[in-house]
Amino acid sequence: MLREMLKYALILMCVTLAASGALGFVNQLTQPKIAAQKQLELQKGLSAVLPGTADGIIVPDEENAVYRGYANQDTSDFRGIAFSSFAKGYSSTIWTLVGLDSNGTVMKIRVLGQQETPGLGTKCMEIRSGESEPWWQAQFEGKFAPDLRVDKDGGEIVSITGATITSRAITNDIAARSGTIIEKLKMTE
Amino acid sequence: MNQRFISASPHIHDNLNIQKIMVTVIITLIPAGAWAIYLFGLQVLWITLTAIVSAVLTEFVCQKIMKRPVSILDGSAVLTGLLLAYNLPPDVPLWIPAVGSLVAVFIGKQIFGGLGFNPMNPALIGRAFLMASWPVHMTVFDAPLRNNMPVSGIDSVTGATPLAVFKHMREILIHKSDLLPEQVTQAQQTMAELNGAYMKLFIGQVGGCIGEVSALLLFLGGCYLLYHHIISWKIPVAYIGTVMILTTILGENPLFHALSGGLFLGAIYMATDMVTSPVTFRGRLLFGVGCGILTVVIRFWGGYPEGVSYSILLMNLVTPLLDKYTRPKVFGG
Amino acid sequence: MSFKKDLIKGIFQENPVFRLMLGLCPVLATSTSVQNALGMGSAVIFVLLCSNIIVSLVRNWVPAKIRIPIYISIIATFVTIVDLVMAGYLPDLHKSLGLFIPLIVVNCIILGRAEAFAGKNGVFRSILDALGMGIGFTLALTIIATFREILGNGTWMGVPLFGPSFEPVLLMILSPGAFITIGLLIGLLNWTDHARKIRHS
Repeated sequence: MLREMLKYALILMCVTLAASGALGFVNQLTQPKIAAQKQLELQKGLSAVLPGTADGIIVPDEENAVYRGYANQDTSDFRGIAFSSFAKGYSSTIWTLVGLDSNGTVMKIRVLGQQETPGLGTKCMEIRSGESEPWWQAQFEGKFAPDLRVDKDGGEIVSITGATITSRAITNDIAARSGTIIEKLKMTE
Repeated sequence: MNQRFISASPHIHDNLNIQKIMVTVIITLIPAGAWAIYLFGLQVLWITLTAIVSAVLTEFVCQKIMKRPVSILDGSAVLTGLLLAYNLPPDVPLWIPAVGSLVAVFIGKQIFGGLGFNPMNPALIGRAFLMASWPVHMTVFDAPLRNNMPVSGIDSVTGATPLAVFKHMREILIHKSDLLPEQVTQAQQTMAELNGAYMKLFIGQVGGCIGEVSALLLFLGGCYLLYHHIISWKIPVAYIGTVMILTTILGENPLFHALSGGLFLGAIYMATDMVTSPVTFRGRLLFGVGCGILTVVIRFWGGYPEGVSYSILLMNLVTPLLDKYTRPKVFGG
Repeated sequence: MSFKKDLIKGIFQENPVFRLMLGLCPVLATSTSVQNALGMGSAVIFVLLCSNIIVSLVRNWVPAKIRIPIYISIIATFVTIVDLVMAGYLPDLHKSLGLFIPLIVVNCIILGRAEAFAGKNGVFRSILDALGMGIGFTLALTIIATFREILGNGTWMGVPLFGPSFEPVLLMILSPGAFITIGLLIGLLNWTDHARKIRHS
């Protein structure tokens, strides 16, 4: 009985050892690629929300959890900061990158990740034919971030028909986070 | 017509009775539709006719393909189309009632074996399908052409229904502390206006779906059906009563909730559907109470302003269970 | 003849989705577009093929009492490989399939074939079985996705089919659309089968 159990345990151990060996190998092969993909996605988003930094650099500021964008390489021409917003939407957490200029005005926003209701909440990423940017995200441009509200709450952001929860979640989260960030950065500078 | 059938559903009536019942129900529904035409304009007539023609055509084609006896003359498809149309906003494009009736009769009824075998109300299946598929068309209401209820602070062009306004204002009042004082005062004023508008709600001078606006005409139709024993009083009374009691407990105006939205249409004409509602005395009371609770829950905490159709659909699914557990005990058994 | 049957049966008579009713959860969730369906289908074919080969190879050394944990370990390994490779090289597809790639581990089709076929038959026949079942699954998934994508999004494989005036049937890409489509298709299959039987007898 004991011998049988030991035998089974040994067999299972061999199987799992072989499995973990194989997985370790594949992981090593794909890890750099996966990391690069994630970095690429973030990089694309950052340069989209920080216009004017195409020839400059974007430096992460880990202490304040933001990215600082400069129009040139030697970080003298400051353009603005970017930060991530994680809003609790209707059926998912919506990841949005927001770019602010030094006055706290939104330069651009980009929704990077969401799993909202197809056809309703997903319209926050819809690009209308003939346009190059998502129409819903474009209306954030040039507005003072902490004051952002959807129209149903008396603000200027037109909410997506049938997806008020998604619209409100993103808008309110950006407003709240940008408020604290602006306050914090003014204190540190 | 004074017979009562007490047997487990599905019921099988002979054709003569079905036809007579259907025609009577349809006739009592006509005044509410005529009122909607007066209120919203002639397009209401076209929407209703499209829904009826599409329902009858679908029934005919299904029965031909499935090699069943064609029974479009019994009026049940006409009634399904009519009820579906009455559940639509008055300004939908005509393809909406056409598709809705097709789904109602095909997926709601014929797939399950035709009249008597459908577990849920076909017209409401059609409405639920349209609601999930084209929410924008289904939730944008034109304001009535005549005698619109003036409510301050509400865009009169999109003409939100009283219940939609109620829900919005209630949200504002709940989140009072985050909002500007003017907004709160405005919401309080709007609420008071809503609650004072009984006569408009009762006669039907408000925005809403085609068939639901006039509580008065639906009530009269219901009385006629009651008098002729086509429906029983238990489900409508239990349904509307539960809604009124619950809204009173929740601190809102019970009359406003009883008269607005599709409650009268649902309680009198759809919750009482013979195929999909219980047959026992206690079963019917429980059915009405269940519908009432669900309606209030959806109106107060759900994602939609109105919950009558979903409440009835959900309770339809419980009908076999209600019938099973409320069967009267045999004397001495 | 028997080899051909091993391959064909998974596509028609024993189609995992329409006949065996296996793996319905990923079918419902990933049939929102034809691209998703093909991606999910290829992932399942790969995992099924690998697990069938390995299970069939080691079938004589696997003690009956611990076969399930061993099968699951083998399957989970290949699923994780697919997951990692997809995340590295097909990030968009990986994003839209999301959780359903790791969930292939508990997909009944794969454990079911290991248990019912590969654990009892030789490698060659197990390969044919895996291919047949995998293709049958992908085919069913693609058929359902075709209905859902065309009606629910107005596109097929991402290509718009109708003009801008077409208003998509949103319900079809929401979960009820999956249930209704699969129910109607199974009903249709049973109905034609029934009709054929009546004609034969």
